[in-house]
Amino acid sequence: MELAIGIILGCCALGAGMAMIAGIGPGIGEGNAVAKACEAIGRQPESRGAVTTTMLMGCAVAETTGLYALVIAILLIFLAPGRLVNILVETMNTLG
Amino acid sequence: MKKLDETVKKETLYIAAWTLILSAVMQSVFLVIGLWKPDVLFGNLVSAAAAVLNFLLMGITVQNAVEKDEKDAAQLMRFSQSMRMLMQLALGAVGVFFFNPIAAILPLFFPRAAIAFRPLFGKKQSAGEDE
Repeated sequence: MELAIGIILGCCALGAGMAMIAGIGPGIGEGNAVAKACEAIGRQPESRGAVTTTMLMGCAVAETTGLYALVIAILLIFLAPGRLVNILVETMNTLG
Repeated sequence: MKKLDETVKKETLYIAAWTLILSAVMQSVFLVIGLWKPDVLFGNLVSAAAAVLNFLLMGITVQNAVEKDEKDAAQLMRFSQSMRMLMQLALGAVGVFFFNPIAAILPLFFPRAAIAFRPLFGKKQSAGEDE
């Protein structure tokens, strides 16, 4: 029983960690977007307001991908272990 | 402390307004389906605050980053994204663990929904505003 619970907890933690790999992408993407925006503002300083607005929106959209991963990780860490252990305990009780 | 850029202020207010509207809609849905409890409201508050704060911090980072050179700007943005992700993880975890999980998770996506609604309701201002 303890081994099964340990495996469940370990797999949940591993899954959460793997989900957060998706958090790398938005970071790189946002970094590149801002670098290019700096270049654009350097060339045309008068377009600063428009570039900043577009970039903010773009960054927020890019960040959503990371948020999906974050939500999966939160669920795997805080909700899934309890539910899965309950299911395991109920199954063990049913089987005797 | 540096003054907040007018663009950042305007966009954050836009996102905050939409987050408020969508939060109200979510609370109404919970009321209608009969699942409303105080933990729905508190989960929503924590998560909506995290979403708006995340956008504001992103705006401040962008404001600072455009004044740096390309390499430093990219690095600053990556660092900021990691820190903001950690902040959202912490606040989202508080919402999920102590309050209603659905009410705590959904508001994290409200800024994205606000951006999706922008072409439908917003004025055509992004393209040539400063011209």
